[in-house]
Amino acid sequence: MDWGNICFFWAEVWRSFTRNLGMQVTAIGTVALMIIMLGSFLFAREALMQVGDRIVQKFEISAFLTDNSDAKTEEAIRVKLSHDARIRHVTFISKDQGLKDLQRRLAGQIDIALLTENPLPDAFRVQVVNPDRLDEVASDLKALPGVASVEYAQDVVRRTLQLLDVIARIGIGLMALMVATAAIVISNTIRLTVFARRREIAIMRLVGASSAYVRGPFIVEGMLDGIVGAALALGLLALAEHFLIPRMTAALPFIPVDVRSIHSVHIALELLGIGIAVGMVASWHSVGRYLRT
Amino acid sequence: MIHLHAVTLIYPNGTRALDAVDLAIEKGSFVFLVGDSGTGKSSLLRLLYHEQKPTKGEVIVDGAHIERLKRRRVPALRRSLGVVFQDFKLLPDMTVWENVAFALQVTGAPSRDVMRQVPRALELVSLSHKSRAFPNELSGGEQQRTAIARAIVNNPKLLLCDEPTGNLDPATTHEIVELLDRINRKGTTVIVATHNATVVDRMRRRVIRLENGRIISDEPRGLYTHPRPEHVEANP
Repeated sequence: MDWGNICFFWAEVWRSFTRNLGMQVTAIGTVALMIIMLGSFLFAREALMQVGDRIVQKFEISAFLTDNSDAKTEEAIRVKLSHDARIRHVTFISKDQGLKDLQRRLAGQIDIALLTENPLPDAFRVQVVNPDRLDEVASDLKALPGVASVEYAQDVVRRTLQLLDVIARIGIGLMALMVATAAIVISNTIRLTVFARRREIAIMRLVGASSAYVRGPFIVEGMLDGIVGAALALGLLALAEHFLIPRMTAALPFIPVDVRSIHSVHIALELLGIGIAVGMVASWHSVGRYLRT
Repeated sequence: MIHLHAVTLIYPNGTRALDAVDLAIEKGSFVFLVGDSGTGKSSLLRLLYHEQKPTKGEVIVDGAHIERLKRRRVPALRRSLGVVFQDFKLLPDMTVWENVAFALQVTGAPSRDVMRQVPRALELVSLSHKSRAFPNELSGGEQQRTAIARAIVNNPKLLLCDEPTGNLDPATTHEIVELLDRINRKGTTVIVATHNATVVDRMRRRVIRLENGRIISDEPRGLYTHPRPEHVEANP
């Protein structure tokens, strides 16, 4: 490989790329569309997952203590729970605190003052790190000495988790479809440029160019389609993120999404990688058909 | 240089292009393949540059069994020989110089070799003055000389020509055959498939005649027409 070889190679790439400019624009446009859809989808999915996580994290376990529990047992439980890695947050709710909470919640509905004594036990409210392990943590809590019973919204948690899982799966399916569409369009484009250059390919093979050499410029061409398309899309997505998202969050303040915590750069790099890979694979495939004897 | 042992070639449509052909061609020789259209001349040449695999039999070029050649070895074979066609097969958007250089460039030859060998090949076919011209600015003979320059630019041991003068007038044909003769005298084995009786008769080289996929005659200093006594006597 010397300078002359490199110049010749890039001249070939350029010749191939410009031979079918109209089709090239189509391919780049398709990649751009694919990446835009993929990007918005990834963003939406990320946001949805955040919302879902927040909902699930609000599910807490209430562990009610036995009536006769003393400060020592309470302290022992508190220490044990605060050292448990699965648990994110523990709050102690005393009998009195519990009654006050109840009074506030039922204010205007029932007059709590009618109660002669406080029927509520002391309790711990526990938030877990991973909602998938809610069941496990709950049963561990129940086994602790001094804990009378545990309560949590078992079914709701399970269903919410299932829903999030289904959404994630549908997302993966949609993404696969989009990638496949772009791959088909790119490989058609490359097939056209390969077809336009079939005489050249025939002569290359006649004079003894290796298959890898014949493929080279076409592979690079496919990669260029991918890179240009992805770059275009990422530019548009960046603009959208910059101008649209702040307005959206302003308009919908009740959606608890922290946009800044979504790793846009990471997603962008992945999308660029997908664009390039799709271009490469598509052109590898379409030149192969012309290399067979 | 070339050995064919019991070579049979049957195309997928059932055409028997070659039928049990045995043939040996020595290094440095000049051979004409003659016969009517569709008698297997082109098929025989295609076997030699691995465009076609024989259905049966052995094809040996320069010690290598072509019929068993692995696909990734084909480029090496093609670099050791040159092929010229009736329709020249030049690239219309490249100049003469670029067309000839193309053969070296696509095999990854260093620029130094390209700069040295292309002028030499153009010199040999007397086209140095047209190196910047495009194929559509050239006469038929000049286009074929360009194609020959491309075929010999990497100094092959073997030059295969399939009807090289089929599209050319008699004067130009003469010029091209002279050129092939000159290349042969430099040591390259040359095989020419042709219909042109005048060329064959004037050159008086080895003539292999094919008919229906079989070799029906093979003479060391032959004529185009089938050697019946009256023909031999008619030509001095």
